[in-house]
Amino acid sequence: MAIKIIKNGIADTIQDKGRYGYQHLGIQSNGYLDDQSARLANFILGNPTHSPVFEIHFPASHFCFTSNYIICISGANFVPLLNEKSITNNTAIEVKQNDFLQFLKPLEGRVAYIAIQGKIKEESWLNSHSYFAKRIQKDAAFEWEASASKSYKSFKKDNLLTSEKINEIQSHVFSTSPIQFIPGPAWKDLTEASQKAFLSTEYHIGMQANRMGYALKGAVLELNKPNQYLSAAVTRGTIQLLPNGELIVLMADHQTIGGYANLGQIILVDLPRLAQASNQTSIHFMETTIDTAHKLYQQIEKKFIHRS
Amino acid sequence: MKTNFEHSNWKLQILGDHALIFSLEEKMSVEIIEKIIALKKSIQAYHFNFIKELIPSYHTLTLIYDIDLFYQNNITVKDNQSIIQLGNSILNAFETLTSSIDTIYTTDNNNNNSSQVKNVIRIPVCYDVTFGIDLENIVRNNKISIEEIIKIHCEETYLVYCLGFLPGFAYMGKVNPSIQIARHPSPRKEVLAGSVGIAGMQTGIYPMNAPGGWQIIGRTPIKIFDKDPAKLGKLAAGHRIQFYPIAFNEFEKLNEYK
Repeated sequence: MAIKIIKNGIADTIQDKGRYGYQHLGIQSNGYLDDQSARLANFILGNPTHSPVFEIHFPASHFCFTSNYIICISGANFVPLLNEKSITNNTAIEVKQNDFLQFLKPLEGRVAYIAIQGKIKEESWLNSHSYFAKRIQKDAAFEWEASASKSYKSFKKDNLLTSEKINEIQSHVFSTSPIQFIPGPAWKDLTEASQKAFLSTEYHIGMQANRMGYALKGAVLELNKPNQYLSAAVTRGTIQLLPNGELIVLMADHQTIGGYANLGQIILVDLPRLAQASNQTSIHFMETTIDTAHKLYQQIEKKFIHRS
Repeated sequence: MKTNFEHSNWKLQILGDHALIFSLEEKMSVEIIEKIIALKKSIQAYHFNFIKELIPSYHTLTLIYDIDLFYQNNITVKDNQSIIQLGNSILNAFETLTSSIDTIYTTDNNNNNSSQVKNVIRIPVCYDVTFGIDLENIVRNNKISIEEIIKIHCEETYLVYCLGFLPGFAYMGKVNPSIQIARHPSPRKEVLAGSVGIAGMQTGIYPMNAPGGWQIIGRTPIKIFDKDPAKLGKLAAGHRIQFYPIAFNEFEKLNEYK
């Protein structure tokens, strides 16, 4: 009853919602880069939505199943192949013992999720299976216990019932509308021209993009005067301005505190959209308010409430 | 007598859509970090279920909350106040409380400083040059002997201002100006777990093998970070630390990294 890694990917990990309550000890929260797609995959399988999943980057690991499972792939479309035959994202898929899963090419998005119906048998650390230093490696086997309560047929039926929700969530994640942020403590320290440039010009994700943070390429920004900041806690989605004018958006594995200029925070509902942006995606930023952010958040969360 | 005005320097800001920052004047000071820790304790006493994190760092306390739980709590407990309104009422309650405590305190103990009675955590350090690989840098740069560096590093009681960079990495200060030295321009590929370093006015201990740029003056045999949940939090913001020198053979005896 396991999922085996038969070839290494570049940066694949097990992720869940992450751990909270330990950042004052310097312990990062970690967790899904794109929580909406990861939870969607769990949702489709009837798993608790914050269950652990495989988080996959391209080039991806190759997987082999040592028993029968029902799985679901969400997020990026890396053209998944089961025994060399194409399968689709966002639907329950039946896999048999010795089936072989690989990914052909990155068509859309940056990060894909594989949810497995049932429960991982691995031990967690501080209430989470996410850990920043743990990549999945060739020959590793992850014990996973499939729960037998539902047949594959009943999944297919439920899938039809929720297809509207699935489409809404995935089209939000891959929409190209501006990424919304709320200005942070150092926004006022930017020159007026830099504030304008940030709001009106196009950015791209640079080569430095990993689970800790995504570097942005675009207009170089300037502070009114060079400033030293005492380090303070940062959150995922924090937009930091480095002394050389470069921007970095902090992602799931970010350090707990930071001392660079804190220009603002991308709102939670839009963070999965940045997480999925490829190097070619044009990114625009738009200022928003906390009230709007909270309303949008609650709208998305409602979609994850299980069908009765 | 302290006046209430001293407490009215708080600033409250939102940090994106799921965090608040309470801040005081931006400087590294014992008085300020102690107020930050006191505010943290007063917020913990509310036992709000929507608070995910309370992270102190120098002059700030960051509160990370769960949006859904905040609104659920809001409907049942408070009449629809926003998170910023809640933050303000927390601050008001804290100020009222601390100003009355200070009044009592200053009348009862005229000259005593509260910080002098606090517990100090003592940490052994072996300053042998095998471990203190940057001691010679400080000797050259600061025109000071190794013996003096050790004496001065051990004389001071340091305060933890925050944790970060790595799990369990505590930023402590302030280092005596005579042994202060800037970080290496580019970090070493690997610094050994337990290594004790100096960066400007701060000193710290590497909790695990990691890349790093601090100037290394010695190594502690004590594991200051252990993944065992029961052993977490050996160092936290507000803790007081003092180092004491040990010989190489004692390091071997106490070594928890074997």
